[in-house]
Amino acid sequence: MKSIFFTGKGGTGKSTLSASAALQISERGKKVLLVSFDPAHNLGDIFHLELGHKKYSYTSNLYLQETDLEEAAREYLHSHLALLNEAYSYMKAFNLEKYFQVFQYSPGVEEYAALICLEKILNRENAFDFIVFDTPPTGLTLRILALPAITCAWLQHLIGLRRDILKKRYTIHNITGKYDPEGVELVYREDQDRVMQKILEMQQRYERVKRWLEGGDNMIAVVLNPDFLSLRESRRLMDGLQDLALKPAAALHNKVDPANLQAADEIEQALLGPDFALKLQRVYSTDLQAGQSCLVRRDLSQIFL
Amino acid sequence: MLRELKRKLEQYIHTIERSQRETAVDLTRYELRELENIFVLLTIGSFIGLPAPPCAVSMELLPYLGHELEILNKRASESSDALAELMGSLDID
Repeated sequence: MKSIFFTGKGGTGKSTLSASAALQISERGKKVLLVSFDPAHNLGDIFHLELGHKKYSYTSNLYLQETDLEEAAREYLHSHLALLNEAYSYMKAFNLEKYFQVFQYSPGVEEYAALICLEKILNRENAFDFIVFDTPPTGLTLRILALPAITCAWLQHLIGLRRDILKKRYTIHNITGKYDPEGVELVYREDQDRVMQKILEMQQRYERVKRWLEGGDNMIAVVLNPDFLSLRESRRLMDGLQDLALKPAAALHNKVDPANLQAADEIEQALLGPDFALKLQRVYSTDLQAGQSCLVRRDLSQIFL
Repeated sequence: MLRELKRKLEQYIHTIERSQRETAVDLTRYELRELENIFVLLTIGSFIGLPAPPCAVSMELLPYLGHELEILNKRASESSDALAELMGSLDID
């Protein structure tokens, strides 16, 4: 299973190009799932459909799905609030749990909800040859892609600290026995310590996503337009990806037309400096299919196949 | 008489041994409490303004941190006298 992330500044044409590429790849016999993480959700408009959060079979080879990140964040919080209520059961007696609803406005929850959706898709959708992601604008996408690595770094540190705690407990257990003076059992084995078990489980999950993002089966396509703002943001995006050990596979230069041809040349030269070796594909304004379709005729599939 | 003496002697040795054991682990217990305190500060320190890990780490660990939260609470209440506690643990009068 391969994946392609279409990233870039808002309004550059990520949805149009990701939809076109997904359709073209599916027409070459590959089974494709096109997922939109963009809160603007244009997929339904592009294919003239009302899409829900479930997979929609557009053709036998192309499935479409719009992910509602707010709904995903609510679901994620709900599952953890249930666990919190269970662990701190006195909250129920005073009806305190309703006050935790405010967690949904916490910074970072939306990114995590996106990461959890990503993880679910990776775990469940093995039947597809390609999963194409239409992502939110640059800032949010970079934060989502950075999360597995940041989380793993934190978890690695916490594992070291927890091991030190368990070692100390083991020492005390050997000298004075099973319980501490307050009567609390000294759990010293990693497989019996619930905190350690939870950290290890999280590490395994996030390491898997991190490895997959960094692996050869994942491709990142940067979509840009022939204008200075788009160039600057694309450079920042590519630098950000490089910091995360993620390499963009292709740059799709969208909305090029005779009026901006010279600017397009200059921007491509500036973008493809000595640091970046990536496939470049121009998409001209005239490539848009006629009529109400938002798809492009130019073949993008050869970049990814 | 001799049996009583033997019992008393055993009790005495047991008390001495227990006292020695307690002294030996006092410092380790102190270190353990501090490590557990640091652990909970790192995981949910955002509640008191420390830089936090990604929110999912705090959220997912919170249900299992009841014991550590009690230690955090206790350490906070004793924080004005931390030096005295350390000196006590090191057996310095």
